Amino acid sequence: MHGPSSGSRRSRSHRMGMGSFGSKPRNRKKVDNELTTKEEIPEILEKRAHELLDNGEEIKVVVSTDLQFDGTYGKDWLLATDKRLIAFNQNGALGHDIQEVSLTTVEAIEVLEMYGNNILKVITSENAVELARYSKRLTPKFNLTVAELEELSSSNGSVLAERRGRRGPGPGGRRGGRGGPPGLKRGGDKSRCEKCGEPIPSWSGVCVNCVQKSKLIFRLFKYALPFLYIIIPAFLMMLVIRFIDVYPGKLSRELVDNILVPAGNVFAAASADGQPIPEQLPETSWGHLEGLSNTLSSWFGSMPLSGSFGHFLTIILIMVGLSVFNMGLSSVRGYMMAWVGQNITRRLQNQTYEHLNTLSIDFFHDRDTGNLMSRITHDVSRLRDFIANGLQDIVGDSLTLIFMCALMFAASWKLALWVLIPIPCLIFFTIVFGKKMSKVYQVLWKRYANISTILASVIPGVRVVKAFARERYEINRFSELTYQVFSGELNAAKLGSLYRPIMQFITYSASIIIWLVGGWQILQGELTLGILFEFQYYMVRFFGPVRTLCEMNERFIRAGTSAERVFEILDTPPTVSDRDDAQAIDNIKGDIEFREVFFTYDNEKNAINGVSFQVEAGEMIGLVGHSGAGKSTLVNLITRFYDPLQGTIVIDGHDTKDIRVKSLRQQIGVVLQDPFLFDGTIAENIGYSKPGASRFEIIAAAKAANAHDFIVKFPDGYDTMVGERGARVSGGERQRISIARAILKNPRILILDEATSSIDTETESKIQEALERLVRGRTVFAIAHRLSTLKYASRLVVLKEGEVDEIGTHEELIDQDGTYANLCQKQTELSKIRAW
Amino acid sequence: MHEAIKVTDELEFLDADSMSISRNAFAELVVEFSDGTTYTRIEPVRSFPISDTMRYITLFDSDGNEIGVVEDVNKLSSNSRDVLIEELKKKYFMPKITKINSLYGQFGVTTWQVETSQGDVEFGVRTRYDIVTLANGRVLIKDADGNRYEIENYKKLDTKSYNLLQTQL
Repeated sequence: MHGPSSGSRRSRSHRMGMGSFGSKPRNRKKVDNELTTKEEIPEILEKRAHELLDNGEEIKVVVSTDLQFDGTYGKDWLLATDKRLIAFNQNGALGHDIQEVSLTTVEAIEVLEMYGNNILKVITSENAVELARYSKRLTPKFNLTVAELEELSSSNGSVLAERRGRRGPGPGGRRGGRGGPPGLKRGGDKSRCEKCGEPIPSWSGVCVNCVQKSKLIFRLFKYALPFLYIIIPAFLMMLVIRFIDVYPGKLSRELVDNILVPAGNVFAAASADGQPIPEQLPETSWGHLEGLSNTLSSWFGSMPLSGSFGHFLTIILIMVGLSVFNMGLSSVRGYMMAWVGQNITRRLQNQTYEHLNTLSIDFFHDRDTGNLMSRITHDVSRLRDFIANGLQDIVGDSLTLIFMCALMFAASWKLALWVLIPIPCLIFFTIVFGKKMSKVYQVLWKRYANISTILASVIPGVRVVKAFARERYEINRFSELTYQVFSGELNAAKLGSLYRPIMQFITYSASIIIWLVGGWQILQGELTLGILFEFQYYMVRFFGPVRTLCEMNERFIRAGTSAERVFEILDTPPTVSDRDDAQAIDNIKGDIEFREVFFTYDNEKNAINGVSFQVEAGEMIGLVGHSGAGKSTLVNLITRFYDPLQGTIVIDGHDTKDIRVKSLRQQIGVVLQDPFLFDGTIAENIGYSKPGASRFEIIAAAKAANAHDFIVKFPDGYDTMVGERGARVSGGERQRISIARAILKNPRILILDEATSSIDTETESKIQEALERLVRGRTVFAIAHRLSTLKYASRLVVLKEGEVDEIGTHEELIDQDGTYANLCQKQTELSKIRAW
Repeated sequence: MHEAIKVTDELEFLDADSMSISRNAFAELVVEFSDGTTYTRIEPVRSFPISDTMRYITLFDSDGNEIGVVEDVNKLSSNSRDVLIEELKKKYFMPKITKINSLYGQFGVTTWQVETSQGDVEFGVRTRYDIVTLANGRVLIKDADGNRYEIENYKKLDTKSYNLLQTQL
C-alpha cells in the first residue's frame, strides 16, 4: 500500500483516482443516452397522438426528456409530425398537458441553456411555447432534435427567423442556438465518451471503460521486443528461482523421513531396552537423492558423506547451497530487469516528448499542463513497472502456486485437499480488505491533498493574510484539516491492525489443519512425518502469490489506462505539418497576401471570416479591433500555429502551406504581451532565438532593445538568473528581454502581439524606442489596444468579427469617420483623464 | 475634509414598489416601472446562486445591459414575485439530494444513484473537484454534463448515505 505521506500532491491526487471502491450495483439502469430522434413511443401516448393527427400524417420525430416541467425527474415526450409539434407533459404542470404547435406558424426554435437544465422553446408569430425541459445530459440529443425540427418546419414553408442572439450574462446565460453537431468539436475536453456514453475522468481524458486492454497490452510488448535478449533469460531465471524456492520442502521431508525419524527410533528403542546408545547411526537409504550423493562424493572425497550423519549434513548443505544460489540468481535477475525497465521508460519518455514537441498549438490548448506532465512521468513509469515486473510476477506467482500444489498432491492428495480449504477464505479476505483499504486510503489521500491545497494557496498569499489579520482564521482552517487527516489515519490503522492478524490467523489455520489432519493420518499410519513437514513449509509460502494474483486485474486495468493515455499523445497527428513537397526558403522579402482566408477554432463561429489584403515587404501593419475580433488569430495564421480552413496566405508568392514550417518560422520573430522567459540566465534567454549566438551579438541585441542598461545594473549582469518564468525580473524588463530575443533573430517578418500593453508609460516610451529600431526594414504586424503604439504603422487594418472593417493610413481612417475614428476618439478622452 | 464614501451608497436597488414583472405571450419576462419604462425579454440573474438565492437578483435587458438589482424578491408585489420566482426556479435547477443509494467509483469517476427532492436520478462525477463542501455541511455537486445537485447538510444524512459520501469529501 502506498503510504499517503509520500509523493507529490499531483501524484497523490492521481493515485487516489485509481482503484475502485464500493461494489458495482448489479442492476444498474441502462443510461438513456442513445443519440436518436426516433425513440420508441409508449403505446398510450401513441393512441393519444393519433387522436390529434390528420389522415396520412406521419410521426417524424419522437424524443423523450428526463425532466418534467415542474422540475421532477421523469419522462416527457416531444413528437413532431410533418405538420405539427406535440409535447406531452404527463403531470400537466403549468397547464400544458398536451401542447400542440403547427409547424407552419413556427418562427424560431430556441434552446435556453440554463443552470443545470435546458428548455426547448418554440416561438410562433403570436406566442412562444416551451416544449421540453431536460437536463444537460440530453444536450446532444436535443441539439440533434432542434436541427430536425428546423428542417421539418422550413419544409413546411415557415421562414425561420435568424435566431435571436440571447447571450445573457450570469451562469449559463441563454444561448440562442445549438452547439455544433456533437462529436464535431475539435479535440476538446470531452466530458462523456463518444462510444459508451460514460463520463470520462477529468484527470485521464480517455474513457477508461472503452480502453481495449488486450490490444494495448499487445502494443506495449513492442516496447519490450528490443530487449528480448535480456527478458527471455531473465524469465528463464525466474522459473529456476521459483522452482528452487519450492524445492527445500522436498528436502525437509527427506531429512525427516529418512534420517531423523529412523535415528530417533533407534535411540528410543535403545533407551527403552536399557541398552547403551549406539555409536553408529543406522544406515539410511538415499532414496531418490542417491545419484546426487554419488556425484557429490566423487567431487568432495574428504567430506564425511557416508553414513547417515553424512547424509544429514549433505541435505543441510544442499539447502544452504540452493538458497545461496537463489540469492545470487535473484540479484542478477533483479538488475537485468531493472535495466530493461529503465531502458523502456527512457525510450517511451523520449518518444512521447519528441512527439509532443511536433504537435500543433491546439493540442496544448485543449489539455491542461499537469495532465500532460503526469502522462510523461507517471504513466510511463507505471507502464515500465507493468512491462518489466507485472507480467513476469503474474506468470511467476502462478507457477509457484502450481509447483506447490503439484508437489502437495504428489505427496498426499488427501492432505492437499484439506489444506486447500482455507485458500478461498484467504482470497476472500484479501479482496475484501484490499477494497476496504483502498477506500480508506482514498479518503486519506484526498484529505492530505486538502492540506497541500490550503498550504499552496495560503503561503503565497501570506501578505494578504497578514494585511487583513486573518492568521487565526487560517490556523483554525488548517487545524480542522489536520484533524480530518488524524481521524483518517486512525481509520487506516484500525483496518491495518485488523488485517494482518486475520491474515496470520488464516495462514495459521492452514497449519493447524495440517497438524490436525496430517497428525491424524500419521496416527492411522497413512502419512509420514516428513510429508507433514513438507506441507508446513509450503503453507508459509502460499500467501504472497495468492495476494499478488488477487490484485492482478487491477494491475491490468491500470496499465491499460496508462497505456491509453500515453498512446493518445503518440497517436495524435500534428494538424500543421509539412507537405511532402514543401520547400525551404532561406531569405524571404516579406510580401504577404491574404486571399479569402477563413478559420474557425470550434466549427461554430468563424474566427476569421473571409479576410483578404496585401502587405508589401517593409510595411508596418497595425491590427486594430475589439478583443475577439480576430487580431491574434490572424497573426497565428502567419506563423502557422494554425492553418486556414479555406483560402491561402501567400508569402513572396509561395503558399505558406508549401513552405517548410521550420524554415518559415525561422523568418518570423514574435514579441508577446506577456513574454515567456525560461528559467536560465538573461543571456541564455536572449540567445534562445539564435543557437550559438556570440556574447557580442547578445549585447548588441540587448542594446537595440534598450535592455542593456538595466541588465548591466544587475550584480550578475547578463548572467542573472531570471527565475522560473522570468519571475525575478519586472514586467517591463521581461518585455525588453523578449524584444532583444526577437531582434537577435533578425527576422524578416515581425509580429508584435500587444507588446506594450501592460507596461507603465515611462517604460513604454523606452520600449517604443526599441521597437522603432526593430521594425525598420521588416514586414511588421503590430497588435495594440493603445493606438499610440501604432503611430509608426504605415497602414492600419481594422478587424471586426473576423472581417476586415476598414483599411488605410491613420489619416485616411480618421477622415472616413468609421470604427477607427471612433476608437481613436475614445482613447484620446481616456488619455486626457490619465494625463490629468 | 471630505467625508469618507460609504460603500453602501454605491449600490442603489430597484424600487420594489414602482416595478412590476410579468410574463408575455412569448413566455418572456417583462418589467415595467411606474414611470412607464418597459423592458421585455429581461433576464434575471442571481448574484449568489448558492448562498442567497432570493436576494440581489440582477435584471438584464435583452442586450445584456444591466437594468438594476432587485434587493429582495419577497419585497416585490405578489404577482411580480411569483413570476420572478417561477423563472428563477426554472433557470436554476439544482435538486437537493436526500439519500444516496449507491456510490460506485472507478478511476476517479463516481457514479451516484441518489434520491432527490425532484425524484430519483443517476449521474456521474468526473473529478472530486466537482464536489465542493461548504462550511455548514452543505455539499455542491456538478456532474459530468454540467447538471448541479446539492446536499443541504451532509451531517444530517442517514448513516448509509453519510458513509458513502465520506469517501468523496
